[in-house]
Amino acid sequence: MASPLAQFEIKTLIPINVGAYDISFTNSALYMAFAVVAIMVFMIVGMRKGALVPGRWQLCVEMCYEFIANMLHDTAGREARKYFPFVFTLFMFILFANLIGMIPYFGFTFTSHIAVTFAMAAFVFVGVTLIGIIRHGFKFFTLFVPHGAPMALMPLLVLIELVSYLSRPISLSVRLFANMVAGHTMLKVFGGFVVALGFFGIVPFAFIVALTGLELLVAFLQAYVFAILTCMYLNDALNLH
Amino acid sequence: MPQLDPAVFLPQIFWLVVIFGLIYLFITYNAAPRITEVLERRQSKIASDLEEASDLQVKADEARILYEKSLEQARAKAASTITTKREAIKVDVETQYNKLSEKITAEIAVADEKIKVAKEAALDDVQAMAADICKDVILSVSGLALDEKVIAKVVGGKFTSVKGNVNG
Repeated sequence: MASPLAQFEIKTLIPINVGAYDISFTNSALYMAFAVVAIMVFMIVGMRKGALVPGRWQLCVEMCYEFIANMLHDTAGREARKYFPFVFTLFMFILFANLIGMIPYFGFTFTSHIAVTFAMAAFVFVGVTLIGIIRHGFKFFTLFVPHGAPMALMPLLVLIELVSYLSRPISLSVRLFANMVAGHTMLKVFGGFVVALGFFGIVPFAFIVALTGLELLVAFLQAYVFAILTCMYLNDALNLH
Repeated sequence: MPQLDPAVFLPQIFWLVVIFGLIYLFITYNAAPRITEVLERRQSKIASDLEEASDLQVKADEARILYEKSLEQARAKAASTITTKREAIKVDVETQYNKLSEKITAEIAVADEKIKVAKEAALDDVQAMAADICKDVILSVSGLALDEKVIAKVVGGKFTSVKGNVNG
């Protein structure tokens, strides 16, 4: 029986080497392309009429849009509006990646790769920090000074704040990565039990059905969490507490 | 764990940047503006419809007030017409009544006069007749032929008092 972790294997489809660097087109990249195509189809087909009274697909697209727009507005205020396309893209990209990963036999979940999630989290972290510094200059570093804390504790508190700020990209990326890996590994393990137990495999099979439902929820939830944390970091950078 | 193999990092990150950049550009310049446009169009349509509805409401209110005012005016006009006509009729009736009653009074006076004249004439006749009868009776009883004037004086005195009573 294949290892439950075999599903995360990266397979090179088109080997590309630029100098010493390997930038081969892999199955991971292929599924990124799938996700992007799915998003484009979803949006183009959904909005093709642009009707005043939306149909089903248009309503879905509009709901996604308004969901993220409201979230960004409520969390980071009106000034964050210009970052809406990025947050919206991030949410849709992760959501579709997670959902495509849930398709049996077909799915590969590239969000279960720490390289991908960390790259996204690091981009958010660096971007947000740059926005904060450009916007507030040196005042940005008051973000690490808690309000109303006793002066004696200040060095310790600032250190804690700094560490927690620097660990943001790690927690952001590991949260998504770990959720995806755990979910898919668990599905694979119980899938193995179904085969191994013969007739009694119906018990783990029922469990897998329930777990699939849970994983669909997690797929949405993790995309949501990634997006809302991005909004909160943006809020910190724009409004400094 | 295949994820921790450093060899898989670079190709994934490279393609992530390329493909994420693609979808980012697509959403920024195509999808998001399109959705925004549709949502704004709907919002403005709803707003303009609501505005139109409130305009129509105001117009309906105005029309209702106008209607009530004209109804009030018509009612007042009708009431004043009725009052005027009633006054006119009253005046007319009084005038005619007065005229008629004057005429009747005059006729009654004329008739009274006629009655009075007739009565006097009748009494005069009765006086002459009484004097004649008196003369004849005296002649038959006493054989005296009295002067008519004397008799008339005696009898006339009686009648004058009778006549006075009649007129009274």
